[in-house]
Amino acid sequence: MTEYSRIAKGTFTSTGGAQIVNLPFIPDYVEIKNQTAWTTPANHGVPFGWFDATTSGTTFIQVFNATPVLTTDTVTTNGISTFSAGQLLQYGALYQHTGSTDFSINKASPAQVTTTTAHGLTSGDVVIFQDLYQTTTTGMPQIAGIPFTVTVTGTTTFTIPWNTSQTNYTAFNTATSTNNAGSFKKVLYPYLYFPGVSFISAITTGTTTTIDTTDAHNLVVGQEVAFRIPSEWGTTQLNSLPNSIIPGSPIYGYVIAVTDYNTVVVNINSTSYTAFNSNQTVSSVIGLSYPQMVAVGDVNTGGVQISSGSALYPSPQYMPIGTTKFSTINGPAILGSYVNNTAQGFVVGAGTGVTDTSAVLVGAAGNIIEWRAFLHDMSIP
Amino acid sequence: MSITTTGNLGPLILQSLAPAMLYVPTPTMNYITVCDKISMPPNGGTTCRFMRPRALQPPTVQLGNSGIDPPAQVPQRDIIDAQMAFFGTGCIINEQVILQDQEGVLAWVSERLAVAMRQAEDLILRDYIVSAASEINAGGGSNGDNPTNLGITDFSLVVTTLDTNNAYKFMTGIEGMDRFGTGPIRSAYFMLSSTELQTDFDSLTSSGSLAFLSQWNYPTNASALPAEYGSVGNIRILTSSEAPVARGASSLGQDVYYNTVLGKQAVTHINQDGYSMNLIYRDPYYSGMLAQNATLAVKFAQAQAITQDTAIRNLLSTRLSNLGV
Repeated sequence: MTEYSRIAKGTFTSTGGAQIVNLPFIPDYVEIKNQTAWTTPANHGVPFGWFDATTSGTTFIQVFNATPVLTTDTVTTNGISTFSAGQLLQYGALYQHTGSTDFSINKASPAQVTTTTAHGLTSGDVVIFQDLYQTTTTGMPQIAGIPFTVTVTGTTTFTIPWNTSQTNYTAFNTATSTNNAGSFKKVLYPYLYFPGVSFISAITTGTTTTIDTTDAHNLVVGQEVAFRIPSEWGTTQLNSLPNSIIPGSPIYGYVIAVTDYNTVVVNINSTSYTAFNSNQTVSSVIGLSYPQMVAVGDVNTGGVQISSGSALYPSPQYMPIGTTKFSTINGPAILGSYVNNTAQGFVVGAGTGVTDTSAVLVGAAGNIIEWRAFLHDMSIP
Repeated sequence: MSITTTGNLGPLILQSLAPAMLYVPTPTMNYITVCDKISMPPNGGTTCRFMRPRALQPPTVQLGNSGIDPPAQVPQRDIIDAQMAFFGTGCIINEQVILQDQEGVLAWVSERLAVAMRQAEDLILRDYIVSAASEINAGGGSNGDNPTNLGITDFSLVVTTLDTNNAYKFMTGIEGMDRFGTGPIRSAYFMLSSTELQTDFDSLTSSGSLAFLSQWNYPTNASALPAEYGSVGNIRILTSSEAPVARGASSLGQDVYYNTVLGKQAVTHINQDGYSMNLIYRDPYYSGMLAQNATLAVKFAQAQAITQDTAIRNLLSTRLSNLGV
């Protein structure tokens, strides 16, 4: 062992979903131990898992059978994998019509997507859709190209924060669409830099203005924001320009409350403003620009506050789903700063055994997972 | 007759190294070119703070003859914060490589590290702009997608937006000259685009006074940048193969190009007290008991901020022409 090797260890509490572990290197070998499964042997428990970069993505596991006695299995999909999140605009595999896969989107708010096979997503993942024409004049092409945070409701179902129950949307299904058109794919690293631009899914006007976005806004209280609302979406009075009082001077709002990952309240009195309209027609899709909220500054003076278990001077945080925040790997910064959230490391996926399909690699919610990661100096061959 | 050939008397040494190294294909790095650049002071903390005063209301109501002063205005300002981040990479080179290789390994590895660092600087700015600047979908093209391919009216629309926002243009105009095939160039913003769109630029259909003009058709290209492909109206187009492309992300599943149109001070690049470039060589002496390995590395610190959000738009488009391979 020389000075160039990298070894790291740690623990996390499983949520039942994929777990990201950031490291200052990309490991070539990872092993995990599920303390809970180890101390309480039970059928489908996975006490051990091993990943080696030379084995083409397969994770080797030990799993308890019904007795329960340890046996062996492998996880070939959503096992342990490494990642290098350094550049934007990278996507996962297309989910589309094939001989064995299809998906549909219903008319609802939020819209529900149903797949015919396991979609493999985790709540907080971001997806984009393409080619959602049921026919040349029907379907949901209005939402194609927009990044949506998914909320997983089942292995073959998830919802996206958009109201498709409106009159100009018709239910979509790749099994019956013209030429079986339609696809979606996962946006691999959606929040490498934040805060930034977000697409707006709904606006509630009033003495303050509530903004719902299609994916995580990653804003904080005190954030200064501007709006870009194309005229067909209604609430153009929010736009930072034009300004009829001081020509040329942009009008900004400030975030006064963060409800959750995709909802903020802004201190703009919009009582008399035009209602927001997301009921766009299919025929308007060509060249349609989307309503956006963009971070332009902040009025804060301090960083993230200390909390139980946190560092004394916590790093900036982002909130991909719900209200759970994750820290970046850099040092402290003023709340609302533009920050870099690039990272690398490995992911413990929620894949299941090939033989025992009820054996989940990352365990059940609440399980304590130990991990050790290595980057070796020497690998033979 | 016996002829001595290389079959029975071959060269003692079969190869010799060509006198010059081959070039390394490297994208043009346009994003750093158009950024404002500032340096954080030493011991200045983690975060760079910008301040931009807000305009005061012009006093357009007359005072009258009452002798009473109008109410005072309260000056306001906007604050923009950006957190510094550190980056680096390097190589570990065994002394036997340095001792035995016929080419100057340390020299060319140093050069590659420096280029990698500069490229990282540009890619970081590129991705930051993708994530932080607002977007306009092209609608002036004819391919029926969303966004469409670029139409001439899209250039006009985005210029109108930036002009209405009182953005500052980068370049003054170029007066026409008495030279065949040339035409005057308007004062201009920059648009950072992909080389994959060059065939689309060449085939843009003119409208009124708007048309694509190749850089070669400028009255003089003395002010043209190396990456400049041409201009349309008040936009001068810089192309690079590393411009952002969202593959298969349009409404119809085509590639989406981020054409960043911006004026002065729209984006600022921040370094930390001249820390923008550190080339670090550590002699094998420092590597261990037998001093076998040298290291060569680069590191730099960089932050970035949209400092005039009204002066930048990502004009998203798809492509009209098929790409060659």
